[in-house]
Amino acid sequence: MASLAARRAKDTTIKAISTVFAVFAIFLLAWILWTLLARGLPALSLGVFTNVTAPPGQNGGLANAIVGSLIQIVIAMAIGGPIGIFAGTFLAENGKGTRIGAAARFVNDILLSAPSILVGLFIYGFLVVPFGGFSGWAGALALAILVIPVVVRTTEDMLNLVPVGLREAAFALGAPQWKVVMFITWRAAKAGIVTGVLLAIARAAGETAPLLFTSLGNNSWSLDLSKPMASLPIAIYQYAGSPFDDWVALAWAGALIITVGVLVLNILARLFLARTK
Amino acid sequence: MNSAVDPTFNLASAVAAKPDAPQAPAKIKVENLNFYYGQNHALKNINFEIPEKRVTAMIGPSGCGKSTLLRVFNRMYDLYPGQRAEGMVGFDGVNIVGKELDATIVRTRIGMVFQKPTPFPMTIYDNIAFGVKLHERLNKAQMDERVEWCLRKAAIWDETKDRLHTSALGMSGGQQQRLCIARTIAVKPEVILLDEPTSALDPISTSKIEDLIDELKREFTIVIVTHNMQQAARCADITAFFYLGELIEVAPSDVIFTNPKEIKTRDYITGRFG
Repeated sequence: MASLAARRAKDTTIKAISTVFAVFAIFLLAWILWTLLARGLPALSLGVFTNVTAPPGQNGGLANAIVGSLIQIVIAMAIGGPIGIFAGTFLAENGKGTRIGAAARFVNDILLSAPSILVGLFIYGFLVVPFGGFSGWAGALALAILVIPVVVRTTEDMLNLVPVGLREAAFALGAPQWKVVMFITWRAAKAGIVTGVLLAIARAAGETAPLLFTSLGNNSWSLDLSKPMASLPIAIYQYAGSPFDDWVALAWAGALIITVGVLVLNILARLFLARTK
Repeated sequence: MNSAVDPTFNLASAVAAKPDAPQAPAKIKVENLNFYYGQNHALKNINFEIPEKRVTAMIGPSGCGKSTLLRVFNRMYDLYPGQRAEGMVGFDGVNIVGKELDATIVRTRIGMVFQKPTPFPMTIYDNIAFGVKLHERLNKAQMDERVEWCLRKAAIWDETKDRLHTSALGMSGGQQQRLCIARTIAVKPEVILLDEPTSALDPISTSKIEDLIDELKREFTIVIVTHNMQQAARCADITAFFYLGELIEVAPSDVIFTNPKEIKTRDYITGRFG
């Protein structure tokens, strides 16, 4: 049996190691954030939001990339959000102990951890090649597939947190199942489900890989979803590795815009969660 | 085992034997009821009757099947695959255990209040309106009237009338439970099932609910599951004692608590087991 002093020493050592690594992790994140602000802020100007991407030295902006990202994310959420919410609802309300439920949950878990480039390749083979070209639709669809497992998982988890008693109480009033789900369980889990959707948006906003072979990117202004479409992650990918200083600066500005957007979404999610508790 | 439950034993006349209890016809008639959780035989050949507009208490140690029986009465077990009931539970001549009656209709006519208060995450008013809207189309004035009616019946109107449109989650546990009773009354059931309705409440709230039960039996048939024998003795006209899935004895409460026929009943109510 170790002496008390030895145990104390062990305890102190472990505590010290944990503290050092925690500080290191935070330091890394702060460093990234600091670099992002230091490089991104000076590059931000009104022109970034109003001008279309342009050749080096011609005062280009990111307007088409910002709008393209927004369009593709909105469509991705319009498709993936409902599918995810309904599938998650099925898993929580009906899929317990059934074979289809277990299968769906298993596949969903795989999708959740699948590399996002795989999703891009899938859409490339499935949509881009057969329909003859890169398009905004393909990009949006790739993002939708990426978003579904996140929403399914959070929806199921949040619905599982709703006490059984609340469901039974609604059933006890003679409510059919769809009304119990719509008016009671969804309502009780609302904050959590919305948070899941916001986090899914945040994930989709930063993905480059699934867009590489789907919407490709577009250097001119285009709202046509059947044509290649620009997006922020792709623009960053193109510009950051270029030898032109103004392009590299724009890449930092784009990265800052995405980060701030995701941060705002996260804060909104937390506020929403706190308010409805 | 079941010697106290003579098949010819008529509860209605047993109630009638009580001087202060006039003749009460059976509202629910349980005949040869068996219930299974998967392989587990939880209720064994139950026979008994619930008299109309009386309070019937079901007592017994944990796992004796009393809550299971309560959940048979409103088909709550239907929600869970693997749970099944066999036999007859007659309710106005229809077998509610059979499939001829839709579970939602059974549950509308036989309401239930649970052990833990279960207010919905909405306003007090909407908690009541939710159930009513499932079955009736009322205009605003009629709905207002219904809300006030059932809150008065549940003896909680005075505490809620100024905060009808605030969240029900802000009420105390006792108030929440009375709201749940009001919500159940609002759909105008004939029978109200109470599953240990006061076990999560303080003594004052408990006595309020017990007073309420006394009031409600004028209009509703009440079945209450309780672990509290004083509560059964205070509130119930009839008490049924269950043990290990069997109905051991059923009789007017004063008989059960003063002069039970079965040794098991006597041992339980005197605290020798359970």
